[in-house]
Amino acid sequence: MLSTLQPPRSLSRFPFRLSSIKPRHITFAVSSSSSLPVATSAVTDQSLQSSQILTIRHSLLSRHLTATQLVESYLTRLRLTEPQLKCFLHISDNVLKQAQELDDKINKGEDVGPLAGVLVGVKDNICTSDMPSTGGSRILENYRAPYDATAVRRMKEKGAIVVGKTNLDEFGMGSTTEGSAFQVTSNPWDVSRVPGGSSGGSAAAVSARQCVVSLGSDTGGSVRQPASFCGVVGLKPTYGRVSRFGLMAYASSLDVIGCFGTSVADTGILLHAISGHDRYDATSSIREVPNFTPQFTSANLVESRPLKGLRVGIIRETLDDGVDNGVKSAISCAASHLEELGCTVTEVSLPSFSLGLPAYYILASSESSSNLSRYDGVRYGKQAVADELNMLYGDSRAQGFGPEVKMRILMGTYALSAGYYDAYYKRAQQVRTLIQKSFKAALDANDILISPAAPSAAYKIGEKKNDPLAMYAGDIMTVNVNLAGLPALVLPCGFVEEGPAGLPVGVQMIGAAFDEATLLKVGHIFEQTLQGFKFVPPMVADGAS
Amino acid sequence: MGSRALLLLKLPAPARPLSSFNNRKLSSASELLSRYNCYRTRRCFTKATYGSSLEPPNLPRLAETARISLTPDEVEEFAPKIRQVIDWFGQLQAVDLSSVDPAIRADTEGENLRDDIPQPYEKREAAVAAIPSYEEPYIKVPKVLNKE
Repeated sequence: MLSTLQPPRSLSRFPFRLSSIKPRHITFAVSSSSSLPVATSAVTDQSLQSSQILTIRHSLLSRHLTATQLVESYLTRLRLTEPQLKCFLHISDNVLKQAQELDDKINKGEDVGPLAGVLVGVKDNICTSDMPSTGGSRILENYRAPYDATAVRRMKEKGAIVVGKTNLDEFGMGSTTEGSAFQVTSNPWDVSRVPGGSSGGSAAAVSARQCVVSLGSDTGGSVRQPASFCGVVGLKPTYGRVSRFGLMAYASSLDVIGCFGTSVADTGILLHAISGHDRYDATSSIREVPNFTPQFTSANLVESRPLKGLRVGIIRETLDDGVDNGVKSAISCAASHLEELGCTVTEVSLPSFSLGLPAYYILASSESSSNLSRYDGVRYGKQAVADELNMLYGDSRAQGFGPEVKMRILMGTYALSAGYYDAYYKRAQQVRTLIQKSFKAALDANDILISPAAPSAAYKIGEKKNDPLAMYAGDIMTVNVNLAGLPALVLPCGFVEEGPAGLPVGVQMIGAAFDEATLLKVGHIFEQTLQGFKFVPPMVADGAS
Repeated sequence: MGSRALLLLKLPAPARPLSSFNNRKLSSASELLSRYNCYRTRRCFTKATYGSSLEPPNLPRLAETARISLTPDEVEEFAPKIRQVIDWFGQLQAVDLSSVDPAIRADTEGENLRDDIPQPYEKREAAVAAIPSYEEPYIKVPKVLNKE
């Protein structure tokens, strides 16, 4: 059952040798699995083979496949794997109908959008008008938003089909998805382990090929850490690149909507679709969104040193004690691979790095205590029975919020108390300045920075549930990037020897503000030339179908 | 090749000596974790962490301020955890930040505020439909005046 796609474990321990790297012919993507009818051979440009979005587009327009067939194959796998994984809180009952409408359009020769037929999962803290949006919280159980989030609207306008709403830690507050009020999601690589969080449902759904791509949100690593745990690509855009309109606010100065996919190209295509200024979000950037497609050029020969001259800084503080040895090995292999591609890799130090974690938690809990005051039981959501207004607020919130949300609101309330602001919130903001400056200096000297995405691979369900500081410590690799507002890409780079078939490990690449293009270029070439790994979980590769 | 050799030589880095929690800078994940472990084993925090003017959290008062009715069991469960995290926040008190300006948000872009002109919301009815207790044109709530 597990034999077909076991990762070559020995590879994660040693740097790659040039002689072991050959041009890549088979992609990680499910298109190579017999359970999917997508015709990869029909895509002529080899460099684009790994993109499921482009493969689907080609298959549909060349009539190799109908949208109905495509959707049915995904829904079949979803039905088979979902009882074990529990990635979705709601599944649309409208998916087949939309596929049939798309087939009609294609048959009539009408234009279809760039995301036509692409099945997308949407994290449940991102509003959709045709399905409930609970944020993983009882206080919004059965809540239906009156509008689509801007990111969702833009995907739909380009032809994407929303499969359903994915599970998360309540309002994004957690790193395991165990904090959902409704269900615990499992990691497709080992169902006894967490998928990471808070966007665990979105990461696991893409990893299990229940959908093509998905949206998550990243306040302190909630896209990147689950991408690493589930062996998929996760992209956290620059703060302001994507509108937050329709994203349930957790910490407004840090929140961004991000993308999951099985290839770097897919996350880049999805990012392009959802980016750009939005009049409903004053913090959304008015900068033009570049076309990322030229970054996905053919570069499957390491010998050509396609990244020659690129300066890569490896963040020293992220590879110290306290980080699992398997993770360190995988990251040093990734660094070696970048060198073989022509990069110059040097160590870089971010002196204020470890201060970022407490600063992040002060800012995030303070902003959440303010943002979540909107859930008062009066205008929407759960309303308690009470005969006095303050009791109605207190009881509605007591019944509606889970323990982690209550604790963060209370911590934030403390940090913002009169007289304490300077000691906590303001100090955390000053630390944010230090972190922004140290990143700027490091990115002046380097084109990108690399680090692990998390100190370990996926751990067991329940392992850290009752120990808040142990859980928070796992966010050390990612929170600083949110404090600086920078873009970061996580992509799978190796395995550690745990679980029934090994567990994936992701490398984080951090870029300068609004320079997602460089990250996508480096990530794409890295992915195309990394040999010897297949990041398809056994339950999918063996066709749990 | 040179930098790779350097990398491999540097891993794993030698363990640093455990310093007391109120010390200045933490410079790595390991120090963070070791300090966390130090906290767990020795409970080395005292009220002094807060500085002279800061009181530790008074949970019932915080809950009232935040409008969350807590059960006695929740107070018992949350109090040590919240105190633990607030203590951990306290490490920033030891950092010299006197010459550093605060950053309100990620400094990636200026404000793009639109003109301050009221605009009708086109989905008003859907928003009204979500209100738990509504009697046109009012949102209905229990009595507002309390005993105080």
